[in-house]
This record gives sequence, C-alpha cells and structure tokens, in this order.
Amino acid sequence: MKKILAIVLSAILVLGMFSACGSSAPAETQAPAQTPAPAETKADAPAETAAPAEPDTIVIMAPPVTGSYLENLKKWAADFNAMYPNLTVEIIETSWDEHNGKLSTMAQAGEAPDIAEISSGALGTYVEMGVAIDIAKYMEEGRLNDYDANALAYMSLEGTAYGLPLYLTIQSIGANKTLMEELGIDVQKIQNEGWTYEEFLDVIKTGTTDSRYGFVFANSGVTASDMLYMFGAGVGLSNTFTPELKYAFTSENMLILLKAIEEMTGSGYMPNFGVEAGQRMVMCQTGNAMIFGKAMPLFEANFKKNNAALEANDGTAVEGSQKMDYAFLPVPTMAGCAESCYGTVDGLIAMRNKDTTDEHLKNVLLFMDYICSGDRIAACMNDLYLDPVCQSGRDALVLEEGRDENNLATAGRCIAMVQAPPAGVTAEMTATAKQLMDEQIVPKFQLLLAGETTAQDVYDHICEAAYAAFGQDNCAQGMLG
Amino acid sequence: MNKTNGPRLRARRKARFTNDDLWGYVFIAAAMIIFCVFTLYPVINAIYTSFFNYKPFGSEFVGLKNYTDTLKYSKFNLFYKAAWNTLVYTVIVVPLSLLLSFTISVMILPFQKKVQSVFKAMYYLPGIASGVALSVVWLWLYDSSPDGLFNKFLGFFGVPTQNWLSSTKTSMLSLIIMALLSSHGTQIITYIAALLGIDNSYFEAAELDGATFFQKVRYIVWPLVKPTTLFLLVTGVIGSFQVFMNAYMMTGGGPDNSTTMIGLLIYNNAFEYAKYGLACAQAIILTIVIALMSVFQFKLMGVDVEY
Repeated sequence: MKKILAIVLSAILVLGMFSACGSSAPAETQAPAQTPAPAETKADAPAETAAPAEPDTIVIMAPPVTGSYLENLKKWAADFNAMYPNLTVEIIETSWDEHNGKLSTMAQAGEAPDIAEISSGALGTYVEMGVAIDIAKYMEEGRLNDYDANALAYMSLEGTAYGLPLYLTIQSIGANKTLMEELGIDVQKIQNEGWTYEEFLDVIKTGTTDSRYGFVFANSGVTASDMLYMFGAGVGLSNTFTPELKYAFTSENMLILLKAIEEMTGSGYMPNFGVEAGQRMVMCQTGNAMIFGKAMPLFEANFKKNNAALEANDGTAVEGSQKMDYAFLPVPTMAGCAESCYGTVDGLIAMRNKDTTDEHLKNVLLFMDYICSGDRIAACMNDLYLDPVCQSGRDALVLEEGRDENNLATAGRCIAMVQAPPAGVTAEMTATAKQLMDEQIVPKFQLLLAGETTAQDVYDHICEAAYAAFGQDNCAQGMLG
Repeated sequence: MNKTNGPRLRARRKARFTNDDLWGYVFIAAAMIIFCVFTLYPVINAIYTSFFNYKPFGSEFVGLKNYTDTLKYSKFNLFYKAAWNTLVYTVIVVPLSLLLSFTISVMILPFQKKVQSVFKAMYYLPGIASGVALSVVWLWLYDSSPDGLFNKFLGFFGVPTQNWLSSTKTSMLSLIIMALLSSHGTQIITYIAALLGIDNSYFEAAELDGATFFQKVRYIVWPLVKPTTLFLLVTGVIGSFQVFMNAYMMTGGGPDNSTTMIGLLIYNNAFEYAKYGLACAQAIILTIVIALMSVFQFKLMGVDVEY
C-alpha cells in the first residue's frame, strides 16, 4: 500500500513538472469574449473582402503601448471577429520588461506569435533569424499605400516591408515652461525656430542654481544610448547609416557630439550622478531640474494630471511637486548642422512559426492591417499625443481638446524633420550595428558620462570597433551633411 | 569470507533481480525522468546546437566556428572580459561568503534552539525572495543621487557621493556587497547543521587542556567541518560562475562592461542578438571550466574528505 502511494505521489510530481511546460498554445493567452462590437466603435474594415471559410486563430503578442491599448485590443479583436466569424484572435499580454526577451525566446523556438510588437531597431534581428515575413505578398492590394512611406521605411529592410508602423515617436527634450518664462527665456521662439547648442548651454546655465539643475537626462545604465541618438540628430547623425550606406558614427559629427556631451556633463549644469529613467520627469516636477530628457509630446498629459492633482489636493500628485506647464522643445543643433529630430517607429511584424501557411498569413495580415489603421490607430495616437502614420488614421483622428498649441506645433515640426533610414540597409548591417552599439559604444559612453574618460578616447574606440565590424571602407569619414 | 565461494556468491546475487530491486528503480525513476528531461536533454541539445548557426527554420552547420569565435582573442571580444569579471567576482565573493557564514554560524550556535531558529529564518529570507524584487530594493539603496540611502549614510562620515552603479570604480564592488549581504542563508543553515554534529567531548577535552575559544575553533571546529566547507566551496564557485541576475538587473553589464559576467554575455548573445549557436558554445565552455574547477577543488581539498 505504501509503495503504491509512493508511486502515485512520484507520478504526480513528474506530471506536475511537465504540466508547467508550454504546449503549442501561448502561455498567457486571453481569448476575447465573443460579444457584439461595442456601439461606439466603427467596425470599418480596411477593405471589403469575402470572409475566408476556414476557421483560423491569429495570435498577437503586445505590451501596453498605451495605458488603454491592451483593453482596446480586446475590443478590436471582438469587432474583427464580428466581421470575420471564422477568424479568432488570441492576445498575449506582456509587460515592457518581459516583452522582448519573451518574443525572442518564442521566435527562436519556432513558436513565435503571428503578430508581435517590436521597435524598428530590432527588425534586423528577426529578419536575420528568418522569422519575419514579407508582408506585401499577403496584404490586400493597395493597402500598403495607406501608410506613410517614411514610417513604413522603418519597418522595411532592403526594400522589403516586414511590418506595419503603429506610430512614429519623436524623442527630444521637455521643460518647465513656467520657470523658463519667469527667467525671461523665450520658449515660443525656441519651439518655433529651434536653437543652437550654445544657446541651449546658456539657457541651462541660467536655470542652474544651488538647488536646481539646468538640465537632467536619464542616462543610467543602458538608457545612456538615448542621449547619443537624441542629441545626435542635432549634429547630423539622424540615422546609423548614411545614404551611401556607410556607418555614420565614425564621422567627425560623432566627435563633436561627444565633446558637447563631455562639456555638458562637466559643466555643473547637469547632475554628476547617474539618473534613472523614472527620476527625470520627477526632478522637473519637483523643481530640481528645469529641462529634462528624453521627453516626448505625451508628457504634457502627465504634467496636466499632476497639476490637477495639486489643485484637488487629493494626495496623488508627485510628492514635493509644483504646478507648472510643460514645454516640448526641439533638440539644439551643433556645428551648423540642419535641425532634425530623432524618431523611431514601433510597429507590428508578422512572424513565421511552425503552423504558418500562406492562407493563414493572409488572415494574419488582414487583422494586422485592421488594428494599424483607421479609428483603431487614431484612438492610440490620441493617447500618445502623436500624429497617425497612415491616411485612414489621420482621417479618423479627433484631437483631444485642451492640448497646448505650441507643443502641438513643435511636435508636428519635429515629426516632419525625422529622417527615415536609407534604403538598402541589410538585416546583417542592422544586427551588427545594434551589437556594436550595445557592446562597444554605450559602455564607453557610460564612462564618459561618469567622467572617467575623454570624448576623444571614446571616439577613437568607436572608430576602431566599427572598422573591425564593418571595415574602414564602409565607415563614414570626415564631416557629414 | 571464503575466497573460493566469493565469485559464485556474487554471481548468484547478480542473477537474482528481486522485487525490491524493481521497486527501487521505480522510485528513482521520478528523479531520473526529471533529470533527463530538464537537465540531460537540454545539455545534449546545447552541445548539438553549438555546432550550428542556429535559426528556427533552417540552421546551418558551422562546425567549430562558434567555439573559435568565442575563444579568438580580440580587443572587442567580450568573452575574455566577461571571464575575467566572473573570476574576480568569484574569487572575492565565495571565500568571503564562506567566512561570513561560518562566523555567523559559530555566533548563532550558543543560543537556544528557538533563538537559533529565529536567526536562521532571518538569514534565510533573502534566499526565498525574488531576485528581481531584491534587485529593485538594491537599486534604491544604490541610488547615485546625494539623497540615495548609502550616499546619505556615507555622507555622515564625510565620504563624497558615489556613483555606485555608473562608475567602474564602484560597480563591481556594488555587486559584490549585494552578494555578500543577501545570499548566505543556505550556507549558514548548512554550517549550523555541521557544527551541531561535532561531539561535545572534543570541546570538553580542549577545555581541560585550557584551550581558548579561538584555539577550539581553529583546531577542532574548522577541521571537523571541512567536508561541509568543501561542499559549500564547490557549490559556491559553481553558483558564482553562473551569476546573471545581479548584473542583468543592477547594471546591465556596464559601465564599460565592467560588470558583464559570462552568464549575462550568454544571455545577450542568445536573446538580444539571436546568436543562439554562439551562446550554446559559450555555455558549454563555461560548463567545462566549472567542471574542471570542481575537480581541481576536490583534488586540492578533498583528499581526506569522505561523504
């Protein structure tokens, strides 16, 4: 009897171990409720098509792109199912922290979701892996024309589109507009006309006191690369590769950028310690910093919410914060370079897995196009304070009231300045550039921010590493632009 | 035993496969299945994959290229830097951790059992806490601003603000301090069990001879807990060589790759750069290094140790 009991317990132990293993179904699948579409949502299909007969399940994996994105995604999935009753959508909800690692693991196991959210910078990795799909082959004819060419370029490599853009986000700097105006700084002029690095340095010097930094940037750990990309746009380094497909970060523009950052961090107008991503906006809201980065247009909503909380005195405001207006500012230009803005696209890609067939891919692209266009994307862009990157999205967009007109105009101006990556960049080039940035450039840049090396040393190291990776002939020399 | 009967007796024993033998195999089958599925199979698969440029659909056989790429010396090959960082981390953390655990165990031992249990539970708590949660707390402790907890504490002694995780001077030290202060619960419990197994008669004899406390520790306790020390040393080295969570959560391997450990390098190659075959090769090399070190430790310290 005891032996039988022991056997049963051992079997339960073994089965319990196996039950934790994933099956072909995703671990965190949320099947949408089979309910009629909500009344307020227009179930407008991208185009009229005959509903496919075969039942099919489309799996999408997405993080919370906006606060309400995942909730909206369930509604859109239900609407889509109402239009195509034989097509079911399963949603895998992830957090930003786990999304990339989880997606990479699933893709390498050959069990990638049909659709996944990615940053355009990661596209090359999945194309190299062989799991990304040429979407033009499976989309309805003409539908790609709905999307802006520059945004679509971020989701393409060597002329092949592998995904659809959700949004083109711009990264720049934000400021305490109230304080800047009190100090006599013409914020509107900066927003309308831009400014040079020297003017920027004067402004942050004006804003620095014993208890306040003129400028703070979230540069702790891997976020240090944001500073390079963002300020790089102001010195002619809008993309990793030049139009001639040479690696851009070996140009003299990079040395100018590094020297400027060396000057900024050694000036005393910025903290001499690493600032976490979550601290930068808080430091501005509590009056410990006047200008901060990186910043995005949607931070206006955070400032408004904090102001409302201060007025209501309900205890939800940031501790020690002050009431202030938010100004979205362009990146300063350096060395006479043309004004530009760093932009990146987040989008959705279609991925191959063990169950992929051509017919299935058509259904996948049908759904992907559906959620990347029309009033679905318009709702998303309202939350992000960004312009849609497709015509149907712009047609459906109804701007939220109460947005600062100057910030709106600045964001629009900055978006227009974003330069799409050049055509012809290969997946291998992108993947190599990513590894070079992560393993060689960012680590040395962190040393520069800590004041433990010089701009020249960092530049020399970047050049050496880039020559080893790409060959000297494929690296930019001299001044660009 | 009669020598002429020995081989025939062994042969008879060999031939008899009893019911008890069968049940024995059945009972160990659970552990063996789990071992084979979750340890042996992945290792064999990793060895196999390390000879390929792995892609989910259509891997390419590359022979030893992943190994040569790993071991080829270049200023930009992070493997050697990661190996050095891991070695430094191990050489400092493991002996200090053992010493700390042993000292704390000796200090806990004189207390009553209930009090011992309280201390054991307190020291073991970090071991059951989530590594991610612990890292978040330590990130807060290591806040580089003047208001960060450690900086504020050091400020009372006139020490200037430290850029704990963002400076090469303090980043590795930060990880080492974190490891020393949060990961010796298991060692303490193991040492206490070993100390409780020492016969009191040794201490009584030593007291009669007028031995001091430190003499008792040096000549009685330390030699008698040697098997435990060897076990903890070997497992400590194995664990330290595989360190990943601390570096991943706290520093991301920076600044200037000063805290990039081999475990983190393998993770980045596998999941950031999708170089799964290369990551498998690096993992196999790490396994071989750990195995060699374990054998070396047993040879050096384990000559007179029996378990």
